[in-house]
Amino acid sequence: MAEHVSTRVNSARLPQYVGRTVRLACKVLKLQGETALVEASDGGQVHVRLTRDANVTDTYIEVIGSVLDESTIKMMACINMGSHLNMQLVNDTIELVHDPRFMGRIF
Amino acid sequence: MSQCAGGGGGYLAGSPFGGSAGGSPGLRGRGAAAQSLRPCSVKQLLNATQAHTDAEWRIDDVEIGQVTVVAQVVTINSQATNCVYWLDDGTGRIEARHWVDTTSSEETDKWGGITENTYVRATGSLKAFGNRRHINATHLRAIKDPHEIYFHTLETIHTVLTFEKGPPGGPGQSPATQHGNAGPSAYSAQAHSASNNAQFSHLPTLQRKIIDHMIEEGPVEGGLDVGSIARAVGVSNAHTLSAALDALMDEGHIFSTTDDSHFSLSV
Repeated sequence: MAEHVSTRVNSARLPQYVGRTVRLACKVLKLQGETALVEASDGGQVHVRLTRDANVTDTYIEVIGSVLDESTIKMMACINMGSHLNMQLVNDTIELVHDPRFMGRIF
Repeated sequence: MSQCAGGGGGYLAGSPFGGSAGGSPGLRGRGAAAQSLRPCSVKQLLNATQAHTDAEWRIDDVEIGQVTVVAQVVTINSQATNCVYWLDDGTGRIEARHWVDTTSSEETDKWGGITENTYVRATGSLKAFGNRRHINATHLRAIKDPHEIYFHTLETIHTVLTFEKGPPGGPGQSPATQHGNAGPSAYSAQAHSASNNAQFSHLPTLQRKIIDHMIEEGPVEGGLDVGSIARAVGVSNAHTLSAALDALMDEGHIFSTTDDSHFSLSV
């Protein structure tokens, strides 16, 4: 089942996840053709290569994709998350998920 | 509610799946955990252990009953008798099966509105069929507020920590008891233990100190004087003290006796 893991990350965690699948909750800053510029929960900006049928409608989205490099994600799927999302809460939760006490055991 | 623990087994027994899974009677008559509902990650469910095929499931060696997960629906596979939702919460993937009751029209209201690529909360019991695990879902609903996803993550961590260390604010959490062996604090640790019974452990420090003091003094005719309480807990600010006393009275922990400046502990 290990191939189906997509860990929740912020932009600072991306370098550790190059080549792996992640979930990035983010705010859409700019949609431009086949790419999007988004802001991660820790405020860092990330480029997202969209899928052709990507349906980005909301301000906040969750991108599921593979990490190409520390600032680029290739989207595999996208979930619209509405127009309100407390990014501080999201970021605090992500940091707890990566806490060595819980990473591997729960997440 | 018939859909609780007993219903979980009942569901299976009446289903085509139940016969082959076998031994569903063994699911009944378990401990109190069978009636409980635990928030989990999918990874915890995939790592859960079972002593034998009829035994209860365990996470970190703690028995689980019903479980609830918040996850993204990857695919929906609707069949004549059941509906299979392939769920992914980022830690792994698991199927949630729901047995369709064709006689009830409520079904579509309760289960409708769930589409692929959205988040849902699924509640039910963990089952194994061959090598594959699934959740026998009694409830499944769409997540309307995305914060629930993060709430669930935090609640999952909270549950693990609660099993590990006991409820927050309990024994072992306060610095005084943690260093209870050290000479000077030995006394305070002892004093602390008076209110360490769970009843008062949730109270703010000052209120707990007041309760501690009143327990120590024992029952006093006419109640304790505000002045003596103030001296005992070391608070000179009348506002702070009366706010704490008011809060304790509102909660029903203490009551005023002969006048507004004498208090007794309600047990």
